[in-house]
Amino acid sequence: MLGRAWAATTAWSRRFWEDLKASTDASLLAILRFVGLLYGRIDTRLPIDQAFRKSLNHRLSRYAGWRQAFGGITYLLFMVLVVTGVLLSFYYRPSAEEAYQSIQHVVSGVTMGWLIRDAHVWGANLIVIAALVHMGRVFFDASYKPPRETNWLVGLLLLFVIFAFGATGYLLPWDQWSYWTVTEGLSVLGHVPLVGGALVEILRGDPLVSGATLSRFFAIHVILLPWLALALLVLHFTLVRKHGIAPPRSPDARDVGADDEAGVPFFPHHFLRSLIVGVLVLTLVITAAALYPRDVAAPADPAHIPESLRSTWIVADVSRALFYYLGPWGFAGFVLLGLVLVLLPLFDRSPERRLRKRPIVAGVGVAFFLGFAIAWAAGWQLRSTPVAISGELTPVTQPLAVPGPTLPQLKPAPQPTPGTGVAR
Amino acid sequence: MRRATIRIALSAAALVALAALPVRALAQVAMGVDSANGCLACHAAQREAAAVGVHSQHGVTCVSCHGGNAGARALPAAHQGSFIGSPNKLQTAQLCGSCHSDPNRMREYGLPTGQLAQFRTSKHGQLLFGEHNTDAPTCTDCHGTHIIYPPYDARSRVYPTNIPATCARCHSDTKLMAKYHLRTDQLDQFKNSAHGVALFQQQNFAAPTCIACHGAHSALPPTGPEVASVCGQCHALVDQAFESGPHGIASERGKLHGCLGCHQNHSTERVAIDTIGATCDRCHASNSPAHQMGVDLQRSISQASRDIASAREAVDEMAREGRQVGYYRFRYQSALTYYKQIAQAQHSLDLSRVNDLARKVSSVSVDLNDAASTARDDRWEHKLLLAPVWFLSLSAVVLAWLALRALRKTDSTGRDG
Repeated sequence: MLGRAWAATTAWSRRFWEDLKASTDASLLAILRFVGLLYGRIDTRLPIDQAFRKSLNHRLSRYAGWRQAFGGITYLLFMVLVVTGVLLSFYYRPSAEEAYQSIQHVVSGVTMGWLIRDAHVWGANLIVIAALVHMGRVFFDASYKPPRETNWLVGLLLLFVIFAFGATGYLLPWDQWSYWTVTEGLSVLGHVPLVGGALVEILRGDPLVSGATLSRFFAIHVILLPWLALALLVLHFTLVRKHGIAPPRSPDARDVGADDEAGVPFFPHHFLRSLIVGVLVLTLVITAAALYPRDVAAPADPAHIPESLRSTWIVADVSRALFYYLGPWGFAGFVLLGLVLVLLPLFDRSPERRLRKRPIVAGVGVAFFLGFAIAWAAGWQLRSTPVAISGELTPVTQPLAVPGPTLPQLKPAPQPTPGTGVAR
Repeated sequence: MRRATIRIALSAAALVALAALPVRALAQVAMGVDSANGCLACHAAQREAAAVGVHSQHGVTCVSCHGGNAGARALPAAHQGSFIGSPNKLQTAQLCGSCHSDPNRMREYGLPTGQLAQFRTSKHGQLLFGEHNTDAPTCTDCHGTHIIYPPYDARSRVYPTNIPATCARCHSDTKLMAKYHLRTDQLDQFKNSAHGVALFQQQNFAAPTCIACHGAHSALPPTGPEVASVCGQCHALVDQAFESGPHGIASERGKLHGCLGCHQNHSTERVAIDTIGATCDRCHASNSPAHQMGVDLQRSISQASRDIASAREAVDEMAREGRQVGYYRFRYQSALTYYKQIAQAQHSLDLSRVNDLARKVSSVSVDLNDAASTARDDRWEHKLLLAPVWFLSLSAVVLAWLALRALRKTDSTGRDG
């Protein structure tokens, strides 16, 4: 009896294995079919099997390789942020009274809450790096040239959406760092000519950063931006699928478009590559979250200016360094340089892809990407202290360790010296 | 025609009427000066005093202090009768006192009336009234002459933040103070003292200025036995402890200048914890039991100070990790209370009480450090999670890599074939 059961089990297992190995289609389909996901009534009504088969057998351009991984990494990190963000929203309470305590609860009371929260923090930092590396790859490979110029613009819009996600998410922990960094940021934004003042009024919703601001930032972060990102991502991917992968910089390379008969099938070739990259990225996120968690600063207190502010987001580091070392005009100049990149495909339309043949474009690109990297390296070591000057809060940035050129600093209003103002 | 004639006649009549008025009175009308303050027609420099300051607002005019006739239209008439000109310092004190010592006149303003009597007891008053020494200040030297503001007006010389500078007008004058063998560095010392920092930098008006310890109108330095009580007006608990200990008894007998035995007067610095023993040695021999007491106190207090710092760090560490530390902060506050009680107890030289309080601080500190250590263990467990994560991910990567290599091999053989 027992022997017969054993024999049946082993026979079943062998059949399972053989079925997996011998499946005529891609192995992934075999697994899906085996566990019953693709068989049954659903599959007879809907051509799911067919759709899967088509997708898995789709031949990617022969040029698709490791260089193209960063777009996928950015998307993976986006999904990490979506998943951890949804999990965080189960516990997070977007009000000035409860936000801080809810973060404390997530970090110390919820099972694996620390991992969810720090993976979200690290995801938000790594996605900026991944998106910029992806953008740099597209830029230096001249992949933005026709017919892919629309997708370059969509990609840049996605980068701004990533920045907006980070800027609005920064306030949500509602601790001293987030409160005063956002106060600082809005104060800077208020100096933008024409639109700055009105924009700050709308975003802040109150004379001070307060619960009203928190509600606005939360709504933008979890309602407005996700839909915008989804729409842009769909457009981005559709355009990639439509135009295929751009050819490399070699002059002999031909643009093969979307359907390349000589290309590699997505499954299993490209799938394996994606798996390797994806697993490594997820491991990196988890490792960073476990080893370098973001500290929880003191609760936000509008009446008490902290001694120093620590930034925990790359973009804040970069803007702080630009302000400190180059002043507001330097910052504005760098933003303009970024805008030049937006308009680039309008001017640079020749089919030439070799870097040596397009020195101006290469120069602009190197200035932007190298500038970003240098500003980041300098910025993460800066600590800034907001000081009250004539009733308005203005940031004064101080270097912690980096020696740099001394710029004229804003100083607090002079204190009246004791004993002055005596009656005649 | 007739209307024009009437107009000319009326104008001529008005001119004649104007010409009939005395010229000086006309000038007074033009300058807006009334007959009560007619002095200002000539003493134009004091005109502001007639409008600004607490005296002008309550009907005190030139003649109230200087005498004379403010309504007179010519110089000799104005400076006749009760006119006294500029009063000297002694006259000034008496003049101010003639109103300010009168309860019936001061009742209306709720002001005290003892200033002149107090002034007579002060060193300033003794010099002025006893020796007719005009180096001594009189009322106007501190309160101002013609324009006098109340002490709650920031323009007043006796507004809290202005008092030290007002006293220093004379007490920082090296030539003047040399005559009386007095130091001139009090203001600088005060500015850097805990009191000065509280007053000038934190704008804390509860902080004492010169007059809090020396008295205002009755200004005198407190004598040796008085010092502890003067400081104790604010530092009540410390004074209580001090008076109950051996130093308090010595102070009462005049063998010790109260608090000044260990602290400075104007610079009021604390005795640093690591110099407590050395401070005792300033008076006590190094082989005396008192020396040993100083060493024991120093050891106990420095241990407590390390404990309170480590308790603070433990709570901060847990807060940084996002733990809810309300309870731990409460425990820390209780330790801080014990720690502050040590500062009082050490003034009574009650070593057993100091040790007892230090033990309580230490006990709370141990609890808080234990809690922080448990939290640290949790963090270590987070890092342990990395072991399976890395194992699984590296295995997946290696397997995928092998599969990819096998695929490439198949592809190349396929192409070759």
